[in-house]
Amino acid sequence: MTGDQFPLWAAIAVSVLLVAGSLLMLAGCIGMVRFRSFYQRIHAPTLGTSFGTIFILAGSVVYFTVTQLRPAVHEVLIFVFVSVTTPVTLMLLARAALYRDRIERVQDVPASKDPLDNAEMQTSKKPS
Amino acid sequence: MSSEVLLTVLIVLPFLSSLVAGSLPANARNAEVWLAGAVALIGLAITMSFYPDVTGGDVVRYEIPWLPSAGLNLVIRMDGFAWIFSMLITGIGFLVVLYARYYMSPKDPVPRFFAFFLAFMGAMLGVVTSGNIIQLVVFWELTSVTSFLLIGYWYHNANARDGARMALTVTAIGGLALLVAMLLVGHVIGSYDLDAVLASGDTLREHTLYTTILVLMLLGAFTKSAQFPFQFWLPRAMAAPTPVSAYLHSATMVKAGVFLLVRFWPVMAGTEEWFWIVSSAGLITLVMGAYAAIFQQDLKGLLAYSTISHLGLITTLLGMGTPLAAVAAIFHIVNHATFKASLFMAAGIIDHESGTRDLRRLSGLFKYMPFTGTLAIIASAAMAGVPLLNGFISKEMFFTETAIRNPNMFANLALPIGAIIAGIFSVAYALRFVCGVFFGPPPTDLEKVPHEPPSLMRIPIEVLVLICLIVGIIPGIAIGPYLATAVVAVLGQDTPHYSLSIWHGFNLPLLMSIGALVGGVILYIMLRPYLALGVEGPPLMRRLVGQRIFERILVTISWKWAKSLERWAGTRRLQPQLFLLVLICVVTAWFALRPGFGPVKLQLSGWDPGFVILWLVGIFCAIAAAHQAKYHRLASLVLMSGAGLVTCMTFVWFSAPDLAVTQLLVEIVTTVLILLGLRWLPKRFQKGDADHIALPTKLRRYRDIVLGVFAGGGVAALSYAIMTRTAVPDGISRFFLERAYTEGGGTNVINVMLVDFRGFDTFGEIAVLGIVAITVFALLRRFRPAAESVEKPEQQRIQNAYDNLRPNRQSGDTVNEYLMIPSVIMQWMFPVIIVLSAYIFLRGHDLPGGGFAAGITMSIGFILQYMAGGTRWVEDRLRILPVKWIGTGLLIALATGLGAWAFGYPFLTMAFQYAELPIIGKVPMAAALFFDLGVFVLVVGATVLILIALAHQSVRSPKAARSSVLPTHAVEPPPPPTLETSTVEAPGGAS
Repeated sequence: MTGDQFPLWAAIAVSVLLVAGSLLMLAGCIGMVRFRSFYQRIHAPTLGTSFGTIFILAGSVVYFTVTQLRPAVHEVLIFVFVSVTTPVTLMLLARAALYRDRIERVQDVPASKDPLDNAEMQTSKKPS
Repeated sequence: MSSEVLLTVLIVLPFLSSLVAGSLPANARNAEVWLAGAVALIGLAITMSFYPDVTGGDVVRYEIPWLPSAGLNLVIRMDGFAWIFSMLITGIGFLVVLYARYYMSPKDPVPRFFAFFLAFMGAMLGVVTSGNIIQLVVFWELTSVTSFLLIGYWYHNANARDGARMALTVTAIGGLALLVAMLLVGHVIGSYDLDAVLASGDTLREHTLYTTILVLMLLGAFTKSAQFPFQFWLPRAMAAPTPVSAYLHSATMVKAGVFLLVRFWPVMAGTEEWFWIVSSAGLITLVMGAYAAIFQQDLKGLLAYSTISHLGLITTLLGMGTPLAAVAAIFHIVNHATFKASLFMAAGIIDHESGTRDLRRLSGLFKYMPFTGTLAIIASAAMAGVPLLNGFISKEMFFTETAIRNPNMFANLALPIGAIIAGIFSVAYALRFVCGVFFGPPPTDLEKVPHEPPSLMRIPIEVLVLICLIVGIIPGIAIGPYLATAVVAVLGQDTPHYSLSIWHGFNLPLLMSIGALVGGVILYIMLRPYLALGVEGPPLMRRLVGQRIFERILVTISWKWAKSLERWAGTRRLQPQLFLLVLICVVTAWFALRPGFGPVKLQLSGWDPGFVILWLVGIFCAIAAAHQAKYHRLASLVLMSGAGLVTCMTFVWFSAPDLAVTQLLVEIVTTVLILLGLRWLPKRFQKGDADHIALPTKLRRYRDIVLGVFAGGGVAALSYAIMTRTAVPDGISRFFLERAYTEGGGTNVINVMLVDFRGFDTFGEIAVLGIVAITVFALLRRFRPAAESVEKPEQQRIQNAYDNLRPNRQSGDTVNEYLMIPSVIMQWMFPVIIVLSAYIFLRGHDLPGGGFAAGITMSIGFILQYMAGGTRWVEDRLRILPVKWIGTGLLIALATGLGAWAFGYPFLTMAFQYAELPIIGKVPMAAALFFDLGVFVLVVGATVLILIALAHQSVRSPKAARSSVLPTHAVEPPPPPTLETSTVEAPGGAS
């Protein structure tokens, strides 16, 4: 595929979408580094997995629709799977972190609603 | 029918019917006998029908091309000598079948007996009719294996087991030597064809390798024919059922050795080496066997040693190297087969009808079984060489040969003297057999009153004894033409003039015969007081037992050496093992690559910075994984998958989507599987300070680092050198690229290579995968974790304690709550993953994908189910039987490969075609798709099996939840709880 066959408007559209998506991804990555705590950090990658992904996939749709001269919509599937699975992963991670912090009695973690919890967890934990 | 068909039937039929015999019900005695008898009779009839074709030295050959380029064709070759052997094998085989019908107790599992028996008969026929010397060795080893099974038939008996093992060890080692000898013969002559070998005796005898070949070949023959110093296995093999002994030690197994000597007599014999080795080994065996036979207390032991002695006689004759001696040897092979088979059968009857084979307890049986007695007496007389019986004629030929004046001092003295002594001994043990069993006072301590056997059981003996008599009285008519056929087939132009008549005038051999007879009688009378003492074993030789030496060697090799080797390089010392392995690789590679790789261009320009960063990340991950591996296994595993992902991206970078897909999927599965396994590894805690490491440890680590750098750097350099070199214009890759579509019908070259061009490789690889999965399963089935990992993980304990404290909660609720949403998603993903796997599978032939990737994808679906629902939940619902899937996959792949035969193409040729399907449209329908289906099914089965095996460990909590360990349909039931407790509670986890 050379520049001659690829229309300019499409090239501009694809580029803008790709750059936008990549910038969101980059912002997410910077956030991963910059944020202080785990609970803050866990929000950062969502920039990339939500609109970052959407923009890049949209760019892909435009590019392949133009070059293959028929609508390319496979990317919708990718979007569906990413948006279904990523939150689950992040949620698991967050709950695991919270659980652990409660057991280890890290101070700035919201306590469990059950008042017995923390005491019991402490007693049942073996000194290691 | 054409001779080709008949020859094939002769060899194949016994093996096929062996399979049939093995699958008949355990009580189908008569059906078994009918089957085996019919097979033997058909073999006999086929052999007889070949007689007109093999007289006068003619040969019938049937050649089936197998690997013509390597000179390996299956050749079935029938000549006069093979003919007479086939007659013995099938004829005596039939009689033994008939005899076994009455001998075997209804309690014995007869299908096994007749299955082994028929397989042995087939192997023996294969040996004698092999026209290719490699094929001969294959059948030779088959006789070793099948005779092992036959001798060990009563495997509940320790003697039978030991005897069988000894026979197998000795004869199989000889078989290996024989294989080497045959390979050398092929190397010298340039062909493995027996006719070509027989035609080039001079080349062979004058070659520098002659002595080596001779020694190796004789090792094979002597071990098989129980020649000194390998004679010790034969008496031990008497633990076999008597029909087996009658067959193996008269007509077949032990005769294979002398068969080989006769077969190669025209090309190998006639040299000094041959004469010295063969005739001295034969003579020692002849005299020693006969001597030992006199003093045996066991009836079958006596016959066994007598067999050894007679085989020694045949070997001695062959060793002399004169054509006349060879004639005598062939004649004696036939005679010995007839009288020894009948004697073994008689011994079996005596054992069967009186309850013992001990000569000390038997006596005076003639009154109880006059008919059997008469037959046994005639057969023993033939064995002793009494005139008017067949043994006499061949023995007199032997005396004639030994008595010929020979320029050689040894031959001139030792041969006739040895012959006479052995003759005297053989008369003595024959007398002992007859007088000890049948004459004297009536037996006193027998469990039952002896009586005549059923008349049908006696028929085989009657037939054989009749043959002994006929051959002995009218040898010229009864055996003359057949013997001549066999002799001409072996000797060809050199066939001497010989006479089979009984009376040659009053000459030296006759004098020797008479001397042996008289001497034997006198010796027996002199020995009677000693024999009456009932001492076990022959005097003077009691300490010199080959068997004991053999056992000592075996103990040294298989116990002492094996133990020290295990201590030195066992799995418990993995570190030195791996160090040595890597060191050897590095050193070998260094030697091999010393000339250099050729031109290697190290390009520093034109590197993509993105790719460089990617690789730096990958390298960091790999090194960090190694660094963390000792104390932080989880971190190490995460880093390793990082390196794996970098590899995957590299593949994408270089446009190898197939590899990338596979890499990604495999990475996912292995990470999860290793994660499951990590939990059972013993914990390791880093000790406080790293400064106090002992100097040797430090040095060892530096040594390992240096070696690791060398090995890793070497492999990297090697790969770089190979991958950067300019492609050969006519190289193999172009071939694949050009032919993938035109000949394989697929545009995905990788997949076409896997399922079509290199289908056979893939077939082997999936077989390996299946074996690995089953091995993992087998190892983990009885897996007991180390004592420190038995306890549940800390998190689980905390959570369960939390749950147990609350009345409205059950143990495990917390984790279920935490996983609630993920598990819903994971379970919803299952059908999606199945569709994805089907998609990857179907597009495989033309686009990246294929059976392997699809199978792995499918198993990821199962892994997710395990994560979502837990082990018990999945095992309750799993409807996959992984072992069956593995087998089915392999069978589908095999069937696809075999399908090509139906259309006249070689194995694994894949047809392809486009088919029009409704709705979907045009789809490629290559036969390769079915092959790929086999791959898919096997991969799913193998991965799921490994997964089950690993995941099931978590259910096996040893202490608390013992009662809840329930067997599931997907997994073999775990061992009974008692076993589990005892092992776990043993101090220190003895596993």
